[in-house]
Amino acid sequence: MEAAVATHEHGADHAHADAHTHEHVHHTSFIRHYIFSTDHKTIAKQFFGSALFFLLVGGAFALLIRWQLAYPGEPIPVIGKWLPDSLVSNGAIQPGFYTQLVTMHATIMIFFVIIPIAAGSFANFCIPLMIGTDDMAMPYVNMISFWLVPVAALTVLAGFFVDGGTAGGGWTNYPPLSATGTGHTLWVVAIFMVGFSSILGGMNYVATVLNKRAKGMRMFDLPLTVWALFITAVLQVLGTPVLAADASLLFLDQVFHSSIFLPENLLISTGNLHSGGGQPILWQHLFWFYSHPAVYIMIVPIMGVVSDVLATFSRKPIYGYKAMVFALMAIAFLGFIVWGHHMFISGMSPLLGTTFMLSTIVIAVPSSIKVFNWLGTVWRGNIYFTTPMLNALGFIGTFTIGGISGIFMAVGPIDVYITDTYFIVAHIHYVLFGGSLFGIFAGIYYWYPKMFGKMYNETLGKWHFVLTFITFNLCFFPMHMLGVGGHMRRIHDPYIYDFLKPFQPMNEFITIFAILLGFSQLLLIANILWCLKYGKVAPRNPWKANTLEWAAPAHPGHGNFDRDIIVYRGPYEYSSPESKKDYLPQWIKPATKTSEKEHEAIAHEG
Amino acid sequence: MFDFSWNMLSYFPSSVSTYSDAHDSLFTIVYYLGVGIFLLVNSILLYFVWHYRHKPGATSYHYHGNNIVEFTWTLLPTILFAGLGLYSDEMWKVMKYPSRVPTPDVEIDVVGQTYAWSARYPGSDGILGNRGAKYRSNTNLFGIDPSDPHGKDDIVLTGEFNLPINKNVVVHLSSVDVLHSYFLPNFRIKQDAVPGAWIDVWFNGTKAGKYELACAELCGGGHYGMRGVVNMQSESDFNKWIDAKNAVRKQVLAAEAAQPKAPEPAPAATTAEDAGHTEHH
Repeated sequence: MEAAVATHEHGADHAHADAHTHEHVHHTSFIRHYIFSTDHKTIAKQFFGSALFFLLVGGAFALLIRWQLAYPGEPIPVIGKWLPDSLVSNGAIQPGFYTQLVTMHATIMIFFVIIPIAAGSFANFCIPLMIGTDDMAMPYVNMISFWLVPVAALTVLAGFFVDGGTAGGGWTNYPPLSATGTGHTLWVVAIFMVGFSSILGGMNYVATVLNKRAKGMRMFDLPLTVWALFITAVLQVLGTPVLAADASLLFLDQVFHSSIFLPENLLISTGNLHSGGGQPILWQHLFWFYSHPAVYIMIVPIMGVVSDVLATFSRKPIYGYKAMVFALMAIAFLGFIVWGHHMFISGMSPLLGTTFMLSTIVIAVPSSIKVFNWLGTVWRGNIYFTTPMLNALGFIGTFTIGGISGIFMAVGPIDVYITDTYFIVAHIHYVLFGGSLFGIFAGIYYWYPKMFGKMYNETLGKWHFVLTFITFNLCFFPMHMLGVGGHMRRIHDPYIYDFLKPFQPMNEFITIFAILLGFSQLLLIANILWCLKYGKVAPRNPWKANTLEWAAPAHPGHGNFDRDIIVYRGPYEYSSPESKKDYLPQWIKPATKTSEKEHEAIAHEG
Repeated sequence: MFDFSWNMLSYFPSSVSTYSDAHDSLFTIVYYLGVGIFLLVNSILLYFVWHYRHKPGATSYHYHGNNIVEFTWTLLPTILFAGLGLYSDEMWKVMKYPSRVPTPDVEIDVVGQTYAWSARYPGSDGILGNRGAKYRSNTNLFGIDPSDPHGKDDIVLTGEFNLPINKNVVVHLSSVDVLHSYFLPNFRIKQDAVPGAWIDVWFNGTKAGKYELACAELCGGGHYGMRGVVNMQSESDFNKWIDAKNAVRKQVLAAEAAQPKAPEPAPAATTAEDAGHTEHH
């Protein structure tokens, strides 16, 4: 691969020239070009930048949580003395602040980091480029979809400055607890807004994939990344309105004193509750009807990204392409009928428990199919260990652990014991960090050259992967043990309990690696920022990949492509006997003397 | 640095009920199944990654997959996982189905209130008095109907509760404010306490001793301190204890009857044994 990179340095100036000579560029002001832009690539970068920023914010909250669990009652180093007395006492985290940190860590990571980067940044960047079109079907809707996110983020973070603090009921914010306090109202409004952003994005992706594919491109010529994003978009469109409805109902309880979630005669003194006749479990049904598919909104796109990265760097077709597509569809469909496994202890009808247990366990089948097909893809490959590939392989290893711990959660009687303990914390982090975030890193490195026109630094990238992989596992794997030991989640001071006192050293161990894990991410930020300016100029197709985004100029301008794109074959013709090279891009005409030359020209041109 | 074992099963708190023994057996099956899948997948992955790493002049195999292989690795996990689901369903039914709750030897009400657990015992008549949400107040957490004579002798405790071993204990669980979750780690039992609903939880303890009761559903800033203790006693010890409580309750009722007007119709807590959440290690 390195050799390939080195031979193409001359390319990018030409690409920049393309961008600047393109007609649209002359007509856009700075604001329309960089801030309220309707260009899908600019919007993708905006999602990307805001998600990276919130990754640091959410990560900082996580470190405060870890500090408290390792050293309860000890002042927070450095920043402890700067925080107000409403949050800390003598620099140590107060119980109320702790529950707010737990809530905000999850809210930010889910709604402002992983969903925006997977279903916002990657979807925006990849869909038009990978289907060979100039932009989204609805560019203005797309712009609104982004700008709702920072507004929502400011709304939820404003909670820190209102009376009673920001939302503190956990990211699931079950009423009646969440029916009181201004912080919870702000949270509900923010969730409504990000939900709307998600719906707008989703309908745009569906419309774009169905209507704007390049000439000759059938649905089964789509790369798995696009398939995954398309299926995710369907989940967004069908699932998120239910969250919006749920949030609206809670808003009615909070502001207009209805009692949809509030039963008769509650002994709650705070707030101006009107209690009577409501049903708290209703919130959970509606919430999880969205939030289980939401887990797939966070992981399904990443499964697509990982598939593409594996095929490219194994120089091999995806094993069982159609099986992969059907498995994604099965995961998405099952995602809508399993929400009750989040509610095994909620007090819902036990008959439902049986149903949800069986449907949930069946999800292991399409997940296994995906893992087996990834193994099949690597099998007899010719594997290059680039940074994206390392992250994709890391994804398979850690996602497998997250999948296996999922079987524990699916079995009702076992779930009852380990739910709301550190076992579920370990599980969710193996899926959303070990799974989604490693896949996101793979995607960031893989498309960095196309997104910014520069190569990232491979050495720094590999260090980032190795450090993250080691510290991630040392941080999160022991949490399974805590969970089996019965260690509850969301508790400010576990050592109130005699049976948890022996776990203090393990919590300290976890905290040390959490801090190292947090600081390892600075390598990613440094790589991204440094190489923006000082990185090697990227060639058009640095990975010698087959999919259409690599037919576009190295740093594509508004409108994306500098030639007409016609698709002749599927996306995974690596090492095909039809070609002398070990790849055969989708846009290359079937072999004749002239097309061989054209192939050479495009692949090696900048 | 600390005692660490790779065997996750070694971290369980001691198992002290008929149900927790059955739970741990099921957990063990899933655990070894999981370890097996993990070793299988990751050793294959590592072998492939190492064996098929790029070498100069190497080429990869142009191959799109095989339907028989796909079919096989779809069918096998389906049989395996569906089997696991059906197998564990029996335990789910035993624990959760109302029809499977055994005839109670001892029956109590438990409610969560931010941030403590309270329990109500039937008193010397052996019958829990009627309750209703409309009667509920901070001095009558269980909403005991003041007009029901069975409720008069009921005993209300906060923080620590005694129960007999080798008996079917049925707990009627609810909450007076927000959601709580009744978590007995040694019994492997967890059930949300939902305001507006009474949910049955049952267990049959096998070992005497004091076991911690935790709240497992975030219920506010003081959630972490919502600790209780369940004191499992032999039948004779438990009978002695409950007889003493009944005697005290009788005296209180007699004293109230002697006074012309009883200010409080519902039984106040007869004891406020330290719930533990005020003491800090």
